[in-house]
Parts: sequence; structure tokens; C-alpha cells
Amino acid sequence: MTTRTETIGINIFEGNKRISNVWLGFFLLVSLLGAFGVGNILLHGHEETLGVTRTVPWGILISTYVFFVVSSTGLCLISSMGHVFGIEKYEVIGKRAIILAIFTLLCGFGVIGMELGHPFRMLIYNVISPNFHSAIWWMGTLYGVYLVFIAIEFYFLMKHNHKGAFYAGLGGFLAGISAHSNLGAVFGLLEARPFWHGPYLPIYFILSALISGCALIIIILNVAHKGPANMPVKEQQALLGISKIFGLLIGILIFFDIWKLISSIYGAPPEKYETVMQLLTGQLSTNFWLFETVFGLLIPFGIILFTKGNNIKASLVAAVSAVIGIFFMRYDLVIAGQLYPMRAATPGAGVQGATASGFVTYTPSFTEIAIVIGAISFCCFLYLAAEKFLNLNE
Amino acid sequence: MSNKKYAIVLDDTKCIDCKACTLACKMENHVPTGLYNYRIWVAEKPVRGHFPNIKRSFQPSQCQQCDNPPCVHVCPTKASYQTEDGVVLVDHNKCILCKYCMTACPYDARYVNEEIKAIDKCTFCYHRLPEGREPACVETCPPKVRVFGDLNDPNSEVSKLLVEHETFNLKPEKGTKPKLYYIR
Repeated sequence: MTTRTETIGINIFEGNKRISNVWLGFFLLVSLLGAFGVGNILLHGHEETLGVTRTVPWGILISTYVFFVVSSTGLCLISSMGHVFGIEKYEVIGKRAIILAIFTLLCGFGVIGMELGHPFRMLIYNVISPNFHSAIWWMGTLYGVYLVFIAIEFYFLMKHNHKGAFYAGLGGFLAGISAHSNLGAVFGLLEARPFWHGPYLPIYFILSALISGCALIIIILNVAHKGPANMPVKEQQALLGISKIFGLLIGILIFFDIWKLISSIYGAPPEKYETVMQLLTGQLSTNFWLFETVFGLLIPFGIILFTKGNNIKASLVAAVSAVIGIFFMRYDLVIAGQLYPMRAATPGAGVQGATASGFVTYTPSFTEIAIVIGAISFCCFLYLAAEKFLNLNE
Repeated sequence: MSNKKYAIVLDDTKCIDCKACTLACKMENHVPTGLYNYRIWVAEKPVRGHFPNIKRSFQPSQCQQCDNPPCVHVCPTKASYQTEDGVVLVDHNKCILCKYCMTACPYDARYVNEEIKAIDKCTFCYHRLPEGREPACVETCPPKVRVFGDLNDPNSEVSKLLVEHETFNLKPEKGTKPKLYYIR
């Protein structure tokens, strides 16, 4: 162990020998599914290939984008505890967290690029015709700035330039918080959708980003060292701390969720109530109870509570469960907000996808699912490749 | 600065659900075929009463041409904009199809036009106005449900109707200040 630590930092291309080519190949192969989805859109157009409709214009590609950028922001925020806020114990997670933050953000951009009708036009008109009143403009622009900061931060981390990493990290921290709360505002500023509207979502997004960040850091450190048994003591100490923070944050999220539910049910506020009932008893109830609540909240919270965050293996199970749950949280949040149609689904109203219950429906198409699986798989591939070919130890 | 402010006043009790307005709109504005490609619609209101004392009624509608339009506020590239005379339009060349305006519109008045690859919506037939012609839906309606005109002109028919009748807007609680007025 000592010999290994001494050589660290000498060669940035001294990768992690534990990463097997089989896994790299596997994830790359699954990524081809995404390439198929992209090809399908390019060949046949959005209308034929995507499941989104006039009434549910944002589908699983948007929710997956949110999932990716939530992960990216969370990784950046949690890792900044080390090289920005000077908590030495957490410096060890810096490189891995930031490289994954870069990859998750890029994959997020890739996924949303497939949902947008004109992604390249966006790059032009975002600059020459900006609307400063638009939360999407702020969110997109700030995420661009954030990407630059975290890329520079990663460069400085690899060069062991602590001062540079501090400034770039601080920039990334501020840009990340601003960008991510603006992503919450993309939904939260819509007066038309009472389920989303209000200051809750920008705050909630930051909280859930922190949870994603903790969970992913627990996962990647375990992947890098093939479990806690081979993990250096410093990294074990960092993970024990992260596990406790992770449990606390999930506890706070449960508290947030409970009050969001109560305030949406009490007195049956119009549209909010109907939407929340779609989560509790309607078309999204399996997602909500099984994935969001059990996988996303109860299992991880229970594990951390009963192990007191002192068992890294158990924390890993909690983290994997939380990440699965968080993926569905994003999906439910994006889709549920659109299920209550803006006009009553009466004959002649032309409310697309309306059912007898008066709500509209959305089912992701095969192309959409292929892109989502492909993007997640490609992100895993990119991370494992970085782990294999770069020296990501402290 | 234009001193005009266009609006439509509707007396939907006259509507016979012939849907000539929806057809005229499609023809005039080259709206692609397809059930959910439309700029305007005629919705059936809930049936009132019980047989034999029963009444059907309809509510034709379209983009409300809001004075405080959420679609314009949210558009990241200013593709959705408001003209000086208060009409909300989409510059198709600037639209990136993020569909934010679709989620922001409380009236489901927008759709993706796959032919022009941009968001499309009612324009009050803005191209006809310089010629002094009314929007196609107004012109074609047999029982004259819709009346189009300038709110800033006290002698216009819309201004007179708003004085003569009590009217209401759709979803006034959203604060969008629609310029479609329904006679009570």
C-alpha cells in the first residue's frame, strides 16, 4: 500500500489495473442501443420515434437529462467539501467525482440534444438571441459555464495544483448551484402547472443533487477498489463520512416529500391534488411507491440508520438502491406535472392521449428507452475507461 | 409604436359546432393534417340537464393572445414574441423545439409543426391584417360567433360588444390576461 501511495501523482496515466476490459466492452456494447435510438430519430424524425405528445411534450429524455445533471451537480457539490472547503478527509474523492461529473453532464447534454428539435440552432440563438427571462436560457448557459469550470478543475486536480483546483472548484460550485437551481426553476416558474409551480423545486433539486452525489461517490469508490476490502484507509474514512451525510440528506428528503404530499392533498387544491393522486393511486403509483419510496428513500434510509453509516458494503447497497430510486423520482416529477391536461378532455377539444379518467397518458417509445439505456451505459463506459487509463487516486 | 390592440369577442351560444373555423384555419395557415395538429378547436361543453330537458353547447377557442404571455417569457431564444399590437407569434427560424412554451401555455394552444420543424400556433392570421382582412376563423363562421377588432378603437365592434355585454376570460387565475373575451 505504501509503495502505491508514493508513486501516486507521478504518472497521470497510471490507471487502475482492476478495471476489466470485459466490463468496458459490455458497457460499450450496450451503448450501441443508444446509437440505434439516435439513428432512428435521425432517419425517421421525432414525431414517429418519440412517445411525447402535444399534451406531454416532455418525456423520458427530459427526465433522464435531469437525472444526469442532478448527478453531475451532486458530485461537484459533494466533492467540493474537500478541495474547495478544505475538509481534508474528502480530498481523496475529488478526481473521481469530478471526472464523473463531467461525463454525466456530457451524457445529459447528449440525451437532451436528442429531445430538442434543433440542438445546433440552440447553440447559435442562445448566444445571438438570448431571453434573459427564460429559466431554460439560464439553466443551459450556466451548465455550459459549469462544464468549463469542472473541466479546468479536473485538469488542476490531475496536475496536483491545489490553488488552481480551489478556484476552478469554487467556480464550479457556484455555477453548479446556480445552474441546478435554475433547472428547478424551469419547472418551478410555470404558473400553468400547479404541481411544479413555486420555490419548492429549485430547493428540492439541490437537496436531491446532494443525495445523488453521495450515492454515486459511494458507488464509484467501491468500483475503483472492487469493494471496501481493498480500499485504502483514507478512502474508507471518506466513505464513512459520506455515508452518514447521505443518510441525513435522505432523512431530510423524506421530510420534504411528506410535506409536499400533505400540502398537495390537504383541501384538495385544484390540479395539484389530482396530479399527486396520479402518483399515489393512479398511473404512476408503482413508480412512486416501489421505486421512489421503497428503493429511493426507505431502503437507503433504513440501511444507513441501522448500520449508522459504519458499514461500507451496506452503504453501497443503499447507494445503488437510491440511484435507481432517484432515476424514477425524476421521471415521475417530469411526467406527473403534465398528466393533468390544460383543457378538459371533452369531445372536440382534441386533448391528445386523454383517457376516460380525464387525464392524459405518456408511454416512452422504444427509441426513447434505447437512448436512455445507451446513454447510461455510455456514461458507465466513459467512467470505467477513465478509471482504467488515468490515475484517479489522490 | 402601434396603437392597436387586437382581440376577439366570442358569443359561443351561437356556435353550431360546424367546425368551419377549424377547417378554414387549417387551409389558410397550411396546418399539417393529423388529429392533433391544430391551431383552433371547438370543444363540447358538458351537457346540461336531463332528457328531455337537455342542452348541448360548445366553446370554440384558440391561442388566447395573452397580454402577459407565459410562452414569450419562457422561450430561451425569443422565438416566441409579442408584436406591438399585442399578437403573440413564433419566429420559426429561431425555434429550437425545446417545447418549453408548450408546457408553459395554460391553454394547450401550441403544437409541433413537423413540416416547418417549429412550434406553431394561432397568429390571428397576422398576414391578413395589413390587407384589412379578418382572421380566417372569424370570416368563415356562419353564425358569427367570433368578432375581431381593435380594443384601442372605441368605435370598433369588439369595443362596443365589451361595453354591451359582460364577458369572461379563460383561466383568469393564471394571470395571463387573455385577449379572447367570451360573452356570458
